[in-house]
Amino acid sequence: MFGLIDGNNFYVSCERAFDPSLTGKPVIVLSNNDGCAIARSAEAKALGIKMGEVWHLSKRKPEYRDVVAKSSNYALYGDMSRRVFEVLSDHFARVEPYSIDEMFLDLTAFARVDYCRRVRDRVRRITKIPTCVGIGPTKTLAKLANKHAKTATGVSDFGDIDIRREAFATMPIDEIWGVGRANQTKLNDLGVFTVEQFAALPSASVRKLMTVTGQRTHAELNGVSCLPLTLAPDQKQTAAVTRMFGRPVETWTDMREALAVHAGRAAEKCRQHGLVASAMQVFFHTHPHNGDPWYHGQRSFEIEPTADSFAIINQAVAAGRSMWKPDTRYAKAGVILLDLQAQQDAPRDLLPTVDPVRAEKLMTALDAVNARFGRGTLRPGGIRQVTPWSTRANNRSSRYTTRIEELMEVRA
Amino acid sequence: MGAAAYKGAETTGFQSPAQDHVEAVPDLADLLELRRPQRYAVRVKGEGLRKRGIHGGDILVVNTDAEPRSGKVCVAFLHGDVVLAILTERDGQWWLEPSNDTPQPVSDETGVWAMIAALVRTDV
Repeated sequence: MFGLIDGNNFYVSCERAFDPSLTGKPVIVLSNNDGCAIARSAEAKALGIKMGEVWHLSKRKPEYRDVVAKSSNYALYGDMSRRVFEVLSDHFARVEPYSIDEMFLDLTAFARVDYCRRVRDRVRRITKIPTCVGIGPTKTLAKLANKHAKTATGVSDFGDIDIRREAFATMPIDEIWGVGRANQTKLNDLGVFTVEQFAALPSASVRKLMTVTGQRTHAELNGVSCLPLTLAPDQKQTAAVTRMFGRPVETWTDMREALAVHAGRAAEKCRQHGLVASAMQVFFHTHPHNGDPWYHGQRSFEIEPTADSFAIINQAVAAGRSMWKPDTRYAKAGVILLDLQAQQDAPRDLLPTVDPVRAEKLMTALDAVNARFGRGTLRPGGIRQVTPWSTRANNRSSRYTTRIEELMEVRA
Repeated sequence: MGAAAYKGAETTGFQSPAQDHVEAVPDLADLLELRRPQRYAVRVKGEGLRKRGIHGGDILVVNTDAEPRSGKVCVAFLHGDVVLAILTERDGQWWLEPSNDTPQPVSDETGVWAMIAALVRTDV
């Protein structure tokens, strides 16, 4: 039996855990650069704020005047996610983090509903994060039960065939994990609107309509488990670092630095997973909607397999230089490392241009220092500490749990 | 970051008799159990609890999973504020006694956030 636990409005709940003034108020959390709403409290949803709503365009609406908009604080959310994971690991033999706010649980050994309720209370007490738990004989059913739990009492058990049957009759198909917009349209055209109708389709027609992936989803909904609990997630295929700039970048000096930082971060991500990249993509472009002339520079190219920051930064900057166009206001840049593979599987060059042993030692030292003293303590040359293009975050809360100078203050 | 970690093994003259005995510094995060999910560090503002040995600027390590106990100091959410209060039980009812406010009954809106577990003072 599988469980799926997720934090309700996770980012907002993390903010509320440390700030009682947010209780009962409409609260939203904005994406990088204070762009769009990416998490909404129940009160904010009730006001009609949509997921992905561009906040600077709608914040002046009179009905939104009491809304508290927080910049995203990933240092905090990441640490709270760790805490949730650790509490769950005390109670379940296996916990698979699926995203920052969702974890699959191995429920095989337990009296399910009562036990999940108790764990949910404990997560709430320790992390202050309210959660919902879905239970089912397959991952797809557990995920659907989790959606159902939001409208029920916080825990739904689709292992119980009667509860499942009753819920299926009213749940729309877009609630199903893996049924996207395109499939939804196809199914609606055939008169299929509810989970009940979808589950009743013959397996062969589902395959014809939605390929083998859809057929798997369909089987899972009918209680046939196709997706095991994997403790090791799929190996990452790409490591991407892309950002909107806080304000337009117009000089090569700033762009060079942005590319260097992005490339350095992407290389670090690779190393964290013990992977090397054998290709990369570098791009930057102007703002698509503000009236500036559209310019989009992009280069994708193969590189000697590496995760070395210096090698990757040098090549990212060189590629950027080759497509740099002056007198242009750039809104976004990014570096994406491609064709990632485990270091030991990577083809070795007969005559590598970087001494691999020396480079690896240096990178290990770099990562160790940065992990110990904070990201950016040691930086490859040419990356300034304060960058004028860095993202906008005007209303970020304190990093309460990871910075000694930003701890929650208690009045005595 | 200073020099590379000193291990005592790479002396240029005489071999160090301590080379297998060099140990790390004591780990305060371990002692204070800061890596456990229920442990949080908070900073004290104000002098209202000096009688309990808690000064402004102190760092308190708190435990969100500890059983409430009468007479102990806790962190509480009180009227939209984060305060230190003494938790007391009288006739089955729990009360919060903040240093500069009247006692408040513990309720859904007025709740214990964590119990104090340890104190760190760096400017003694």
